[in-house]
Amino acid sequence: MPSPSAAFTSSDTWISISPRLIVARRITLVLAFIVVAAGVVALFIVPGIDRLIGWAATGVALLAFIWLWWLIGRRVRSYGYAERADDLLVRSGIMFRRLVIVPYGRMQLVDVTAGPIDRLLGVTTVQLHTAAATTDATIPGLEPAIAAALRDRLARQGEMRGAGL
Amino acid sequence: MDEQRSAVGDDLGLGLRVPGPGRTDRLGHTRVHPVTPLIHAVTAIPIIVFALIALAGPLSQEFGGWSALGAIGAAVAGCVIVVAFSGLAWRNRTYWFDEDGDFRMDSGVIARQQRRLQLSRLQSVDVVQPLAARIFSMAAVNLEAAGGSGARIQLRYLPLDEARELRSIVLARASGLDRESGEAPEQVIAFVPPRQLAVSLLLRTSTAGLLLLTALVLFGTVVTEGWGGVPLAFVTGGIPVLLVATEFMKYFNFTIADSTDGLRLRFGLVQTQTRTVPVGRVQAVSLVEPLLWRRLGWVRVQLNVAGVGDGDNNREEQVLTPVSDRATAAFIIARVLPGVDLDDLIWCMAPSRSRWRSPVQWASLAVAWTDVLFASRSGRITRRRMYVPHARTQSVRLTEGPWERTLGLASVHVDSTKGPVRITGLHLDSEFARQVAYDQADRARSARAKDTGVRQPGPSVGD
Repeated sequence: MPSPSAAFTSSDTWISISPRLIVARRITLVLAFIVVAAGVVALFIVPGIDRLIGWAATGVALLAFIWLWWLIGRRVRSYGYAERADDLLVRSGIMFRRLVIVPYGRMQLVDVTAGPIDRLLGVTTVQLHTAAATTDATIPGLEPAIAAALRDRLARQGEMRGAGL
Repeated sequence: MDEQRSAVGDDLGLGLRVPGPGRTDRLGHTRVHPVTPLIHAVTAIPIIVFALIALAGPLSQEFGGWSALGAIGAAVAGCVIVVAFSGLAWRNRTYWFDEDGDFRMDSGVIARQQRRLQLSRLQSVDVVQPLAARIFSMAAVNLEAAGGSGARIQLRYLPLDEARELRSIVLARASGLDRESGEAPEQVIAFVPPRQLAVSLLLRTSTAGLLLLTALVLFGTVVTEGWGGVPLAFVTGGIPVLLVATEFMKYFNFTIADSTDGLRLRFGLVQTQTRTVPVGRVQAVSLVEPLLWRRLGWVRVQLNVAGVGDGDNNREEQVLTPVSDRATAAFIIARVLPGVDLDDLIWCMAPSRSRWRSPVQWASLAVAWTDVLFASRSGRITRRRMYVPHARTQSVRLTEGPWERTLGLASVHVDSTKGPVRITGLHLDSEFARQVAYDQADRARSARAKDTGVRQPGPSVGD
């Protein structure tokens, strides 16, 4: 786990998300790179293009692929959330670190979503919405049962505090 | 100003009042005025006619007179279709107050839509008059409640006096008052003279900068006698002129009046608007002071009102005043955020090492807080001060970019509802920023425990 800088640590119990999200995101990455690979192959097939350009493109694409592959692992591991008595904390990011504090009483709705690849691997995204569009408290990569339980707990907490504007 | 005239909206005084007979059916559901399709058509017809004129000439040259006649026929058919569709839309659009005292509207031709607006969550009522509506002494009433784009109802068009009546009924019901109280009396507290508005728009940093650039380009062109700079000058000079003209027409005769239902803002040259900002619904305010305004002591006040500006294409800036002197601005803000003192603040500055992150504005970056509000400050050339009451804080974010981390800095964002005001304490000492963020979450929570922000629904009033 990357050690967050001092400002982003706290004594709260932080829960990290499922490493299966790494797999899900890497599958998406591979799918995207199939398209890129097709483009690179085209550079070799189409006549009149210098071989050197093709090799350069291959190199750049490979480097980008390896970097993104590695970055996905780090980024997914950087996610964490903590349920405190009165608010939910979500942290994320390595280069650009973020910590979001959402008081339960301010939640307007809780979204639970899962795309096709996510469903295949059994990961779900929980997103909290407040009246502010800038809130952006998203917790990806939760196992469906955990996500459902979290959603219910959050909804109950919000109700107890008369969530609203 | 004539005391007898209503303060909401105005007509051109043409006396073109179109009678609208029996628009209420036996269920008490009312339709908007039958002249509505015509007003919609009036907006569309110039476009059709213009297209016709543009087409008719070349067509008759190419294919003879019959084809021009065909084009005319097509244009007439287009007008008829527009009117017919608007007519159907009009027939299917009804509104009423339901048993719970909430406002309901059914609409739609192909897809039927039922809308319900909870009056206890009402954010604002606007009376808007586009030019085409002003000709017929008509007005549109926009009702907005908290929560998403679905919470906006537009009633187009009602006779102006009915629009006024509906507005006061809705406002009275929303605040739980007797619906018979009629239009609340008002007292004008500020007026922006057109001259001040024009001068202030010319002195805005962006306008002044572009005009200066234009002067430089023209100077360079004259000196070098290479006329290539002229088109560039048209662009750099044309944009500010266009912007100033648009804003001038929009905020012309800006009047702020105080009444029991909130602050009423009235403005506009061609299209007039009456906007009511209910007291206690303001989420955040900011004071904007461009460089050239500061010596004159002028400020612009922007605000976030929940529910307003949530619409898909409604990204319009919400202002409380386009330009005012500081004392007036403070007075108006005190009215919409009661019990808030904007001057009694101890600013906690960003450390001097933040100059490496923001070389220009670092000296003005700061945050402050009191028992009731959180404030932040930014900008060197155009100075901005943002204020949000703790009870209106939605969430708190702490962010740290790579460059900030190297310098040991972090930024605190206090999220408010959608609008022009963004409260951000940029580039503070990272440990301090973290403390501010956690404390702000606590302050928001305890303030919210005291203030629910949503008014209790008023007693239902029988018809």
